[in-house]
Amino acid sequence: MTRVNTVLGTISASELGFVAIHEHIGYGMPGCELDSRWWKTPEQRYEETVPKLRKFHENTKPWGAATFVEATGICNGRDIDYYKSLSDKTGVHIVASTGFVGGDTALPFFERASVEYLTDQFVHEITVGIGDTGAKAGIIKVGVSRGFKMKELDLRIYRAAARASRITGAPIFTHLAVDSAPALNIFAEEGLPCHRVLFGHADDGVSQGLINEKALLDAGGRIGFDTFGYDLELPDPPFWGRHRQERLQHFLRFLNSGLVKQVLASADANCSPLGWPGVKGHTVNYLFEQLLPDLRAEGIEDSVIDQVFVHNTADFLALQPINNH
Amino acid sequence: MCVKHSQGAPEPALPFTSLLLDPANDRGVNAALVNTVLGPVDARQLGVTLVSESLMYVLPGAQYAYDIRIDRAEVFDAIAAKLREFKAAGGGAIVDATGMFQGRDLRLYEALSRATGVHIVASTGQGPEAMLGGYFLTPQTNPPSPWPAHKFADMFGREVNEGMVVPRFERRAPAGMVVTAVTVSGMTPTDGSLLRGAARAGATYGVPVFIRCGADAPAELQLAIDEVLSPKRIVMGGMDRRDAVARGWPTEVASKGARVGVDHIGSTDPLYLNDAERVALIVELINAGYVDRIILSSSATGVAFGEAGNDLPYSDVLTKFVPMLRAAGVSQEHIAQMLIVNTAQLLSVNGEAE
Repeated sequence: MTRVNTVLGTISASELGFVAIHEHIGYGMPGCELDSRWWKTPEQRYEETVPKLRKFHENTKPWGAATFVEATGICNGRDIDYYKSLSDKTGVHIVASTGFVGGDTALPFFERASVEYLTDQFVHEITVGIGDTGAKAGIIKVGVSRGFKMKELDLRIYRAAARASRITGAPIFTHLAVDSAPALNIFAEEGLPCHRVLFGHADDGVSQGLINEKALLDAGGRIGFDTFGYDLELPDPPFWGRHRQERLQHFLRFLNSGLVKQVLASADANCSPLGWPGVKGHTVNYLFEQLLPDLRAEGIEDSVIDQVFVHNTADFLALQPINNH
Repeated sequence: MCVKHSQGAPEPALPFTSLLLDPANDRGVNAALVNTVLGPVDARQLGVTLVSESLMYVLPGAQYAYDIRIDRAEVFDAIAAKLREFKAAGGGAIVDATGMFQGRDLRLYEALSRATGVHIVASTGQGPEAMLGGYFLTPQTNPPSPWPAHKFADMFGREVNEGMVVPRFERRAPAGMVVTAVTVSGMTPTDGSLLRGAARAGATYGVPVFIRCGADAPAELQLAIDEVLSPKRIVMGGMDRRDAVARGWPTEVASKGARVGVDHIGSTDPLYLNDAERVALIVELINAGYVDRIILSSSATGVAFGEAGNDLPYSDVLTKFVPMLRAAGVSQEHIAQMLIVNTAQLLSVNGEAE
């Protein structure tokens, strides 16, 4: 039996269908809620979000179902009750995260917390629920603070995530794949096999040259090509953007060299951003409108596409606790 | 040392920068009115006022902790009981000096004020740096430069001019005070931006500024004054810290015309004076001619989540400390000056209530 926690309940991994492994309903840095320049009415939020999810649902019909992994951590505007209503009304499975996008998004209460407390926080959110929503987190978010260098708080969060992953079986995904040596050390020390970890944003424009892909692959880690669509060809690309062809060729090198089981892909788009303008025109549906046609044009078989978006993701998201010896 | 926060470059000082903010709303507000959560109140109505307390304190992030449950009904009853006790002891008004990001709950405060009859003034502002969210320290820009003073001035100023925020939802009553704090071990560049932003907002919109001092109160005061904020509109908090007294800051701050916040009455924290020493400090300031600059409060926490509160009743200043002042020979008139007149002048918009 496989089990995956979605915001509306626990389902079999076989029900997930096409999975976008790293997306956001809405993301904002902690404190942005105080700045009224970003406020939107609930009408506007639903209006910006529902059509994108409905389209995602439509686009995934050939795979039978749509799953949207919401990568917004604690303190970043994560809003479980809202996700529940969106999932219920659009039919898209939504998997929520526990954890933090990085140490610089953990507010003072968590900044002061021990590894043990952070572990308990993550385990509680995965096994009991998030706040009083009744919904359980299905994945653990960790990440590298700004500056491409792991900070002490980042490392504390990674260690707690590794422990929580062993206990609950929930996988981990990272914000950024740079400065991975300390992360790999922590996972080894904590006895967490790295196929339970997705090293994310390995494809973004600012990380190139800073990622030790070989070390991640040798450790058995999964590599995230999960910022598809942040193309420098856009009229107003973000600073982490990259030329479309360059990213595509990077991805193809992995697909064409027998590494298809170690990659995952997504768009990291915001349906309705919370504390920043977002990137106009970029949605999760880039995967269907641009990426899949690009891949097919490059001769990638549908079976490979299914492997990346259906089988790898199902294997990754299924809860796999590791018993202590 | 806080590892998560990047260091911002100092922002160059601009002359008359407060003019860059939107002009104050003309709400027809008389200069002798105080911004309370239930609207403007004549400063003379406040009575005995404590300016550095908190009603509900939440260490940022604690609201998301798996093992902390904030039961609003319980919170309401606990704070209401303390407010009623304060009122019964002769108290009139409480300023919630936690600023905008440490548990401020405007709708709760409005209901508490209605239910108890105690005037409640809520504050805008943030600080020190370690209390800020990442939005202000590592924004989604490249490089992630921390917010400069003018952006804090704008955000705090809007909370006075347009109303305080209920996050992502609405604005309610205007803020009655701007609070900020300097890291005790020394001012970080972002602390400096917060302080200058608070001072600009206060200077532009006429509300006082409360600064919890760091490692150099006179220099921090000067930084606020340099933002064209009149010293009499500034309270330097923490003037009953042992190190502050040892370094002569209370007298120095008073001599510059600012208000001296003797703001930990009842505290048994060894970093602060005890109450007997506090009385001696106050007598010394009065004898030096500074009675009009002394502000008395206890920094009591109504309820606290995420870290321990101090369990001090708001009423202790009146029931325990005032008798100590009387016993030390402080006149009733001077006590009233410190607890009623100074605070009314301080909190009245533009500071003109007499």
